Amino acid sequence: MASAADYKDRQFLAVIGDEDSVTGLLLAGIGHVTDPPDSQKNFLVVDNKTETAAIEAAFESFTEKRKDIGIVLINQHIADKIRHRIDTYTAAFPTVLEIPSKEHPYDPEKDSVLRRVRRLFGE
Amino acid sequence: MEERTIDHLLEQYLYLLHEYTSLHAELNKLQAGLYQNLARANFAAERGMRYGQDQYDDRMQASRRVKVALPSSSVCPTFEVVKVEEDNATTTTEKNTVQASSVSKSEVVASEEGEEKVAQGAVNSSREAAEGPEGGEGMREETAEPIASSAKETKPKTSEPKAKKKSKDPLRWFGLITPMPLRQAQAQSVQAVEEIIPRLVSINAGMAQVEIEVRRARKKRAKAEAAARKSEDVASKEEVAV
Repeated sequence: MASAADYKDRQFLAVIGDEDSVTGLLLAGIGHVTDPPDSQKNFLVVDNKTETAAIEAAFESFTEKRKDIGIVLINQHIADKIRHRIDTYTAAFPTVLEIPSKEHPYDPEKDSVLRRVRRLFGE
Repeated sequence: MEERTIDHLLEQYLYLLHEYTSLHAELNKLQAGLYQNLARANFAAERGMRYGQDQYDDRMQASRRVKVALPSSSVCPTFEVVKVEEDNATTTTEKNTVQASSVSKSEVVASEEGEEKVAQGAVNSSREAAEGPEGGEGMREETAEPIASSAKETKPKTSEPKAKKKSKDPLRWFGLITPMPLRQAQAQSVQAVEEIIPRLVSINAGMAQVEIEVRRARKKRAKAEAAARKSEDVASKEEVAV
């Protein structure tokens, strides 16, 4: 059971996605940059040049290091690149949600939640 | 008994799964609309201009934040995304300006009273001097000017926080006049962030909780079955012995 200390300060949404996904979500006002000198962003724009290690580092930062993130949104095609990390992530906070991107429509077969469902029903 | 509990839990789980898939379909629809609107805005934009990360404000502050609550009746948390009106810094500056404006207002009232008295005195003195009514009106007009100017002075102070509030809108990163598709994209994004995403993650948490309960119930059933089998074996051995 989650204690209040686990989620009390988790007030931001984080995004790992392509430029259009991040721009779209930031338009809703979820973007946040912490005060200097850290100036940590709660989003990562991923393009063709972004290395998997950088995506993994951002995911680790949002899920383990930072204690102010409540929800992590990640494009499904980017989640595929770090699938092993997504599938083994079991913590209650922050919660991870896979979202579709412009060029890669949502595939339920790949969704970590629906993979969990299949495991429960013994498939 | 255990079988019934598991069935009940699985029924609950399937209900949550249905809700999860339908909400995801809704999110897909909204995201598709958002990408389409962004593409339209980029298509209509000036040459070389693109609505993207080059225009992000490096000092952005979140105006929509997550609120996690754990209802006493359940063990799984519920998520909510709420709009934060102003941060602490803005509220304090606003308070200061409110105080400043109230002080300046009282000063203005005091000065107005004083000026009215002066004006009345001037009118009286002008009447005493048996001058025409035009002179009195002229004096009134003259005295009215400083009042108006003092009121003008107070106006910019009160309009400052309004300007600060406006600048918090992420649309302003892309200029003062933004195209309609970009504003539509923002509306769709807000709907996704405020309505769909919190519900999706809350359902996800609920599903995870039911999964734990199902596994526990299955373990319990397996233990009960093993115990029943053992007792049957013991009984059959006793029968053989007799």
